[in-house]
Amino acid sequence: MKRDKKERRARKGGRFFQSLQSRYLLIILSAFLFVPIVFPVATILYYLLGVFVQQQDMQELKYGNTSQIEQMFHQQAAELSGASNQHISDTMHKLRERYPDASFFWVDGEGETKLELGGQIELPAIWSNEDSIQFMKEYTGSDTFTVLAFIGDKPLGQGFMAMQLPRSLVQSNTRLIFEAPFYILFLILVFLFFVALSLLFFRHIRRRLLRLQAAMTRQGEEGLPLPVEQEKQDEIGQLEIAFNEMILQLRAGRQREREEEELRKELIANLSHDLRTPMTVMGGQLYTLHKEPLSQSGRETVKQLENKIDTVSSLIENLLSYTLMTSGRYPLELALQDVLRLVRESAASWYPLWEREGLAVDIELPEQPLVWSVDKEGFRRILDNLFQNVVRHAAEGGYIGVAMIQHGEQSALVISDRGPGTQSASKEKGAGIGLAIVHYLVREMGLAWHIDSSAAGTRILIYPEAAADYFLNKI
Amino acid sequence: MSVKLLYIEDDKEIGEFVYVHLKEQGYEVLWLPSGERALEEAAGCGLAILDVMLPGLDGFTVGQRLKKADPSLPILMLSARTAIDDKLQGLQFADDYLTKPFHPDELTARVEVLLRRFASVAAEPLAVKHWLVYEQENRIENRETGEELILTGKQFQIFSYLLRHLGQIMTKEQIYEGVWGEAYLEGDKTLMVHIRYLREKLEKDPAHPEIIETVRGIGYRVKP
Repeated sequence: MKRDKKERRARKGGRFFQSLQSRYLLIILSAFLFVPIVFPVATILYYLLGVFVQQQDMQELKYGNTSQIEQMFHQQAAELSGASNQHISDTMHKLRERYPDASFFWVDGEGETKLELGGQIELPAIWSNEDSIQFMKEYTGSDTFTVLAFIGDKPLGQGFMAMQLPRSLVQSNTRLIFEAPFYILFLILVFLFFVALSLLFFRHIRRRLLRLQAAMTRQGEEGLPLPVEQEKQDEIGQLEIAFNEMILQLRAGRQREREEEELRKELIANLSHDLRTPMTVMGGQLYTLHKEPLSQSGRETVKQLENKIDTVSSLIENLLSYTLMTSGRYPLELALQDVLRLVRESAASWYPLWEREGLAVDIELPEQPLVWSVDKEGFRRILDNLFQNVVRHAAEGGYIGVAMIQHGEQSALVISDRGPGTQSASKEKGAGIGLAIVHYLVREMGLAWHIDSSAAGTRILIYPEAAADYFLNKI
Repeated sequence: MSVKLLYIEDDKEIGEFVYVHLKEQGYEVLWLPSGERALEEAAGCGLAILDVMLPGLDGFTVGQRLKKADPSLPILMLSARTAIDDKLQGLQFADDYLTKPFHPDELTARVEVLLRRFASVAAEPLAVKHWLVYEQENRIENRETGEELILTGKQFQIFSYLLRHLGQIMTKEQIYEGVWGEAYLEGDKTLMVHIRYLREKLEKDPAHPEIIETVRGIGYRVKP
């Protein structure tokens, strides 16, 4: 037991991370963190991205970036401190070789342009103050990147030298992505990613729930749903396990029910057999007795006993049939039938008995079929029970009538007698179960019936349920 | 020569009195307490009466085997079970069915009807009023004058159908389907026309038929 608990707890722990709850919490958590953390994190990420892009740029620029060139040029100028004009000129030529795309010029301490390499602009031969300012104005922030450096440590001692390059060679265009709209777009993308994640999460849950629902409504053998395959260990997985267990229980229940039903059926069959066998023997003995020379009262007694045997046997039949029927062991097969044909056939088999009992038989049925949806055997059973009732309880009326009454589309079958009515007929209680069977069968076939009984006789109407209102009002 | 009946019943007391009763009616009876040897013993029997609940093989199984071996052997089932239970089991193979307790006279009546329906070759002529009917030879003779009655094919078929169900009322649908072998259509006057002509030949007074009786609202019957 203890180990069980431990295992369960361990399993629970492992399951927590697989559960929908934890995943949902994760998403909610990230939603809360979105503002205070995702913003700065996004900014940092963005910055790092920027730096990375910059480094990429530097590898792409063949002379390095502006600051590297400035640094190099100022260093060269510093190194030329106190150098001869020839040395300065040589250095400038060397620089020109290293940077073939750049142009160079050198102005000495007196303001005279001493050297000009690769330049396309016109330089003044002697620099005045205006010239210098004009030059500065022209090239600061222009498309041409310009570096000016004083030679030596004293300004204007040995003059200055200048280097000019097209700005595109030292600066990358990618800098543009550092502007505000791109940053906002980035944030929107992060937000959309979060939304998409949530959507996917719920779509996944929904899909699995729908799959489970479909499995529940689909019917396999015996009208029970089939078990589903368990996909994951999470809550829906647990639900699937529970669902499968429920199906197993249902199956077991069905099986048990079937066994009990089988047992009941067998019991009734045996009971029927055990009750009828001695009665058959009794009937046989009475028949033998019949053939003996008997007094008048003896013969009457034998006749009475024979009648009682008949009564008890039909009681047994009805009682056991009723039990079987109401426990669903008698499946009705409803089909469209001409019920008048069934009535005629049934009446034909009852006719000899009616004759023997001295009943006047009045059968008024139309030629046209009356088609109802009934179970053949069940409908015969209804007629048998009703006809038997007439013979048993209304024979003294000396009449049995079978007719059809019609109203518009609707028809009703009418069985009438002139007996003392059902109230007084109940002195023989056996009628109850026979009529209970009629009631059960009539209802199961979507029909309805009505007994209209008085001292002058009984009328029994059978009609489709749909016509009930009319025929009930008529009576 | 009397007809031999095969009777299978495990209950001694019931078996005893049914055996005696059938003997009294002039049948030769072979009574077996179980169905095991039914197939071998059935040879030469004109009809089998089977109890449904038997030890070992039940009556349904025995009946089905008998019917399969010889479809011309009529089978009457005796059942002590409830009717709906038996109907669920399927009684398609059995030719008639009687529930216990039954009246011995009812049993004899059913046996006679079945024997007539499955009329064996050596059937004796049947006397109906002033006629003698030799069904096997398709011949009807006037007992009083010795004249032969000439019927059309359908007239003879209708008459012998009613004779095979002697004493039973047959509905129009049953006669039509039994004779023509096809479904009866409502309002079809063919059968009535045939019966009218049949009566004109059979009855002494066709306006008041005595042989083919009309049972109003149900059908026709020839009384024994």
